[in-house]
Amino acid sequence: MPTIAIDAMGGDLAPDEVVKGVAQVSLDTDIQCVLVGDEAQVQAILDGLAYNPEQISIQHTAESIGMAEDPKTAVRHKRNASILVAARLVADGQAEALVTAGNTGAAVLACAQHFKLIRGVRKAALASVYPRQTEYPGQDQLALLLDVGATIRCDATDLVQFALMGNAYARRISKVPSPRVALINMGSEESKGGEVLTHAYRQLKTIGGVNFIGNIEGNDLAKGKADVIVCEGLLGNVVLKLLEGLAEVVADLAGTAARENWRWKLGLMMLASGFGRLRDMTDYAAYGGAPILGFEHLLIKSHGRSNARAITNAIKVAAKAVRDGVTREIAAAIEQL
Amino acid sequence: MNVLRRSRRREPEPLRPVVFRWDLDKTYLKSAFDSLRGLVRIPFEKPQDKITVPGVVPLIRGLRNVANQRGREVRIYFISASPPQIAKAIKEKLALDGIEYDGIVFKNQLQHLVRGKFRNLREHVGYKLTELLKSRREMPVGSQEVLFGDDWESDPIIYSLYADILAGRVGAAALDGILGTIGVDPLLITTAKALAAEVSPAEVVRKIYINIERRTPPTSFRSFGARLVPSFNYFQTAVCLFDDGQLTLPAVVEVATGLINDASYTPNRLANSLADVVRRGHLQEPSAIAVREYLAARGLLPPRRRDGVRPSLWDRLVRWLRTQPNPPPPSEVAINYETLVTEWRAAR
Repeated sequence: MPTIAIDAMGGDLAPDEVVKGVAQVSLDTDIQCVLVGDEAQVQAILDGLAYNPEQISIQHTAESIGMAEDPKTAVRHKRNASILVAARLVADGQAEALVTAGNTGAAVLACAQHFKLIRGVRKAALASVYPRQTEYPGQDQLALLLDVGATIRCDATDLVQFALMGNAYARRISKVPSPRVALINMGSEESKGGEVLTHAYRQLKTIGGVNFIGNIEGNDLAKGKADVIVCEGLLGNVVLKLLEGLAEVVADLAGTAARENWRWKLGLMMLASGFGRLRDMTDYAAYGGAPILGFEHLLIKSHGRSNARAITNAIKVAAKAVRDGVTREIAAAIEQL
Repeated sequence: MNVLRRSRRREPEPLRPVVFRWDLDKTYLKSAFDSLRGLVRIPFEKPQDKITVPGVVPLIRGLRNVANQRGREVRIYFISASPPQIAKAIKEKLALDGIEYDGIVFKNQLQHLVRGKFRNLREHVGYKLTELLKSRREMPVGSQEVLFGDDWESDPIIYSLYADILAGRVGAAALDGILGTIGVDPLLITTAKALAAEVSPAEVVRKIYINIERRTPPTSFRSFGARLVPSFNYFQTAVCLFDDGQLTLPAVVEVATGLINDASYTPNRLANSLADVVRRGHLQEPSAIAVREYLAARGLLPPRRRDGVRPSLWDRLVRWLRTQPNPPPPSEVAINYETLVTEWRAAR
């Protein structure tokens, strides 16, 4: 039974939804949860819920980092912020992985401060999952994109390491036996994109155990061409925000259209069940969160607006990653490099 | 030694007789009457096939042993809403478990069936309350009672009502209204009122322990006041009984060992249970410390670990000057039964 530390105070809906998610985990699974946050507040929420106290402990800390706070300043001044205490518990071996829906920058800094990088790993990568089309039976509905912001610029070796880390995570968590790994580039040819990408391409082509399919372009991102998409942090973050922004624009446009024209409204109503299915497929609560990879310990970062279901799933993902030895697999892959 | 000395200090009036009353299904036995299949199977179960709730056997044995060691008169009774037709199997099961008891009552369901009182088959408040009141007449003068039930049906209401009738807080007129609201058979209401009228008011019931078998949220029990302790397992019950002077630390160890050996509990799960009951205000910090030290020394609780918090020098100084306050104990409230019955029933 893995022990997972959970930042009770992180996220727009914390601590209520976080505690609810943990309570559900305590009833459904054998996972041990350590809730890190304001003890009185957390217990008051638990008191109103069905839960199994045998699987929940609370580590009290009065400080927390808000979603809008500057991560660097907050981490420097709030030594006992819930995310930092949770990271320390993991680093000390009292928990095996960490889940937070809080400030992403603070989460990355907490890992950098308290976790060691896996031997041979030069930079950690923040991953994100996003829904896309599928191309073959058994393919995961979600693709893994990394790095989306832990780095800014990377060299070829960094990108190759990200590919190995993403490959190991996707194999274990998505249960895709041989995930398709690709680099984002401005063209599919090997020579495109400059020295860093060309070099990374050549290296990845020669590594055994990685199903490298080459470069993919921006228009392939939403298709099922690749399961693990690798890029440096600056580009990854732009891509991620673009995808999120597009989804918001589409939703806005549909809303405006429905308000302005009754025929469009009727049309949208007829498509409602399809939209519902699409919403289920793309619901962030279903996948829980995405990992920060490269450290000896795992952190699953949930969406800032995570509800109880998202937190429950994030904890399950973290426990699964611990049970399946994702970090061990990454370490083995990096060692072979 | 320190720990033992502290536990001895808390012993309340050792020679006052004590009565422990236990519900049977879901409190002592893990009866599966929540499913039709389980319900059908119960009458045909052999004594050795019946499963007890983890930790209950060493707990009951401990309660009797501790009272005996102190030269205190002790009685243990069981009350069940099951029919007398399964009495033989139940009694054999109790004998198999090595439980010595002074009495056990069963509900004569056949009688209700014959008289066509089908509603009485499922309604247990009237039956249990009258049986408790009848039994009380035979208890030693001045004896105290500790009651054990579960959250499946109406044990919290029945036991609280019983305690308040004995204390003189619920009179015959009020009882009429409350039992009427619950839908108790008028004949049983008359009996209960007559029995209540005989009571010489005294604070008899020390505590009511409710086994949260159905995972009812703890806030649902707030209206019952501090006398009622909802506990998630019998380790939590045992530590509260230690706090109340009914058990010793070696007896708590027996319960913890039973849970670890027979129910796959781990020291970590026990530690979490202990912390939970402290946070909910049912166990005072000095008792919790005593339990922690005593059980950790025997490997039944994990050793204290680093907590990941890095207090500043100022924080440490403040902590040193001001000891950590205990959580406020749940408040003692006067129960409004009319409201409580409606709320409890609505939540079921």
